Amino acid sequence: MIGGGVFKAAILSVLALLTLFMCGLILSLLAYTDLKTVSATLLSDEVLFAIRLSLITATIATLISMIVAIPVAYAISQTQFLGKSIVDTILDLPIVVSPIALGAALLVFFNTPLGTGIENRLIRFVFEVPGIILAQFTVINALAVRLLKSTFDSINPRYEQVGRTLGYSKMQVFYRVTLPLARNGLIAAAVLTWARAIGEFGATVTLAGAMKMKTETLPVAIFLNLATANVEKAVAVIFVLIAIATIALIILRKMTSAREHI
Amino acid sequence: MISVNNLSLCVGAFHLKDLNLTINDREYFVILGPTGAGKTVLLECLAGLHRIRKGEIWIDGEEVTLVPPERRRIGYVPQDYALFPFLNVKENITFGLRKKNSEKNEAEKKASDLAHLLGIYHLMDRNVRTLSGGEKQRVALARALATSPKMLLLDEPMGSLDVRTAKYLRLELKRIHEELEITTVHVTHNLLEAEEMAGRMAILNMGRLEQVGTPEEIFFYPQSQVVSDFLGTPNILNCDECIPIGHGLVEAICGKMSIILPHRTGEIKKIALFPQDIYVSKSRPPGPDLNRFKGVVKEVVPFSSLMRLNIRVDDIDLLTELPKDIFEDMNIALGQEVYLILKLRSLKVY
Repeated sequence: MIGGGVFKAAILSVLALLTLFMCGLILSLLAYTDLKTVSATLLSDEVLFAIRLSLITATIATLISMIVAIPVAYAISQTQFLGKSIVDTILDLPIVVSPIALGAALLVFFNTPLGTGIENRLIRFVFEVPGIILAQFTVINALAVRLLKSTFDSINPRYEQVGRTLGYSKMQVFYRVTLPLARNGLIAAAVLTWARAIGEFGATVTLAGAMKMKTETLPVAIFLNLATANVEKAVAVIFVLIAIATIALIILRKMTSAREHI
Repeated sequence: MISVNNLSLCVGAFHLKDLNLTINDREYFVILGPTGAGKTVLLECLAGLHRIRKGEIWIDGEEVTLVPPERRRIGYVPQDYALFPFLNVKENITFGLRKKNSEKNEAEKKASDLAHLLGIYHLMDRNVRTLSGGEKQRVALARALATSPKMLLLDEPMGSLDVRTAKYLRLELKRIHEELEITTVHVTHNLLEAEEMAGRMAILNMGRLEQVGTPEEIFFYPQSQVVSDFLGTPNILNCDECIPIGHGLVEAICGKMSIILPHRTGEIKKIALFPQDIYVSKSRPPGPDLNRFKGVVKEVVPFSSLMRLNIRVDDIDLLTELPKDIFEDMNIALGQEVYLILKLRSLKVY
């Protein structure tokens, strides 16, 4: 199209500035360390523990989150009920409320009679590893619901209708038609929520605490090392987080481009 | 037999109002109406896709008003075909059979038989996203027929096809209907399609059934102004004589008009000619003088974005239509002589 050169130059300039800003941040990290320090740090017991704990807790939190988010997102997307917009808003709260506030709310909950009962009789969350999973779940579940809702919204209801006329019940159609149609959206939601869980800090540190080699996830490791002025170690852990996030984004991009070709 | 009794339903902006309808066994029944008439909603009611609160639907003597779609034994082909994109052609066709716990070999044989019947056997391993509109339609039809349904519901099956493919598939649908003898309900807004396909048809407008009958009854004897307006008030020519002139052509003598047209059976009683299918020219058109007539403009009436012209040809008054801008460009006046050319392919004979 002819014209629009000034507009194009303006938006590309902003794009270039933002890209430079992000590259600048990463390059500034390199100035604080070198490859030898990074590799030595990565092989330390503390960082290996943090990587292992982050991967395990984020994976469990993502699995639980997906199991819960799939029916919830489908219900919000496909059904009409009284007070739907209120329920929808409540479920969205973790997206806009600070993770520290969510962590504090969880902590307060476990000081109520019900919370104390759960802690004493079922499973301990406060300052324990299950607390990390619960904190991550609380933060990422809203994101999973939101992403899956938009996936279910985008599915043409005709597919389910045809499935029903071909002899399948509503439940069978959900498993045999809806979930396969939502496959890419499910994977994208799982990847994004998992990456978000890996990076979760605020709610985790409030509920599970920041205890070395106990509740030390990767973000907690960064916090603890910065607090003790061990910047090289903190930077090495930041690189681990950046690597995990990059892999997640590459997988997501591949899924998205595959989806666009449908 | 399908019976719809006193059916009323409101789905969003669509309302069905107190519908009563009977569709006979093995009949090819067309529901015709303008966009927004409620045709698809009616079809979806037959499929069991809406919860009906007022009225009843019976299929083969059994009330199915509240029976879910999976227990109605129907084949449904929606307008967009809705082929499952995560399955290939063969898997789409056998999808319903897998639910019926059919043996794999049995399901594959059935799919292969249907694919042969519909001429899509060579597509069996293809990804459905790579199919053309016509191919998709045939795959959707095969998938719907695979479960041996008691009736077939087709929602605007030619809606997204080009004219040539649609014409070919109309013939295919007719052949399949004759071969399988399955009760078929076909929804369309296309008059030509309805006339060509229907054994009987219903005109639906704003959720109301305006008329039910054979195409002949509806075209020649519209029972209301709504039907008449929707059909476009055809010119009806009563024919006195029909003379075969060879090469599959006949000369129909209708009053003082002589019309040459292709016809096999040799007998024509009436010719229906829609106003939009008559070309008007101020100058004598070139070429042989067949199906071209000279007439005099007797009346000009504005009708929506059109001008309706009443033109007398010998002893017959013919109604024609022109878009207003074309009418103004042509500068046609009352009493003026004009030439009329009949669009041969759009003539309907009975």
